[in-house]
Amino acid sequence: MKGLLLKDLYVLVKQMRVFLFGVLIFAVIPGSNMTIFAVVYAAMMPYTALAYDERSHWDQLAGMMPYSIKDIVLSKYVLGWLFTAGAAALSIIASILESHFIPNAGSPLSGALAFCVGVITMAITLPPMFRFGVEKGRMIFILLVVVIACGSAGLLSETVQSPSSLAILPLLELALPVAAVVLSVASVWLSIRLYAKQHR
Amino acid sequence: MTNENNALELHHVTRSFGDFTLQDLSLTLPTGCILGLIGENGAGKSTAIRLIMNNLHADSGEISVLGLDNQSPAFSSLKEDIGVVLDEAYFPEVLDIKQVEKVMASTYTRWDSALFTDYINRFELPWKRPFKDFSRGMKMKLAITVALSHQPKLLILDEATSGLDPIVRDEILDIFAEFTRNEHHSILISSHILSDLEKICDYVAFLHKGRLLFCEEKDQLLDSYGVMACTSDQLQELPEDAVVGVERSHYGMRVLVKRSKVSSAFPVEKATMEDIILFQVKGEKNA
Repeated sequence: MKGLLLKDLYVLVKQMRVFLFGVLIFAVIPGSNMTIFAVVYAAMMPYTALAYDERSHWDQLAGMMPYSIKDIVLSKYVLGWLFTAGAAALSIIASILESHFIPNAGSPLSGALAFCVGVITMAITLPPMFRFGVEKGRMIFILLVVVIACGSAGLLSETVQSPSSLAILPLLELALPVAAVVLSVASVWLSIRLYAKQHR
Repeated sequence: MTNENNALELHHVTRSFGDFTLQDLSLTLPTGCILGLIGENGAGKSTAIRLIMNNLHADSGEISVLGLDNQSPAFSSLKEDIGVVLDEAYFPEVLDIKQVEKVMASTYTRWDSALFTDYINRFELPWKRPFKDFSRGMKMKLAITVALSHQPKLLILDEATSGLDPIVRDEILDIFAEFTRNEHHSILISSHILSDLEKICDYVAFLHKGRLLFCEEKDQLLDSYGVMACTSDQLQELPEDAVVGVERSHYGMRVLVKRSKVSSAFPVEKATMEDIILFQVKGEKNA
């Protein structure tokens, strides 16, 4: 799998410099919203890698190499986890440093929760990309972003109107990591089967 | 039943796609030999290669590669021993040769950097130019270099020489011949270019519309067929089972015949691979 990851890193670093710079900027700008942007942007890296694979027909070549379907699918998840973890870690470090100078700079916890959101986003959107390709799969990603945005807006307005609803936050802190793990396991399992169906 | 002396065995392999069926394909490639797979576009050559590499599941039949059933869980690891060159090189377009090498060195456990460098220098490929700026010849040379640099026992080449100029093709065919000097090395090569296959193959298989018309030893094949120019009356005199195909023109006709079935009184010339293939198809049309 190391070769697959290395190939994706070479391609992304070469093609996505501006995008990666954007992730870096969002990660260090104070505020939880920016952290979410940084991590969700980082979580989009596997889609970009898949799009470049489709363009060069890499999957045909990879199928001839000593890689199992599991390796090929899992490598995209690992790539996404590495990028989201990197963006979240950067954001956490930045928020710790910034908290010495700026009040309400953002909590390190928001970085960890943003990481979970990024992982959940990948877990939901990667299986359709493996099944239908990036072009159609992106539609599902966009739909998910709209749902998350509307959900967040609803949650925010509820919180403003009724401060007691803040009580759900500790529950969210526990639920998000559990959901990230459970959904990722299910997503990898599903993607392997969908990829196999698509390619054989 | 798998024979360990064979690099490749296909037994009654069938795969259907709805509008196309690769039907009842049986092939054997003895270890140390080169088998040429001939066929027109859409005949099923690439499908056969994908089936061999287990990139496609057969509806029925069995395939063994280097003595191992390709449905076995160990087959993924066995791909270390198989070098594949597809009809296009399919490397990511932004990678340069150094990066391709690093990716492949992390992919194959027996990657030979010195051998890779030797081939790159021999082919005079540029180390720092991105892959997208390579010519087709350069792309295929890189693909062949990669396929050879992880010390494979079996090379599978799908139209690897198509679209290359004759000088490059000749250079590459020499490398393939060099590869099979090791008695444990074998090659399956599919191509449209019959002269290439005639030059290097020990065995030839002809696929036509998803069916295998023959798979025979090349020299035996060339010896067993002949071409003769004749008139309609002379054609009538030939035994019916001797005639494989007839090509009619305003000036008379050319007939592909089975030499063993034709009297030595007839002036039969040696058939080329192209004659045998074209007459097989044309003969079918005239039937």
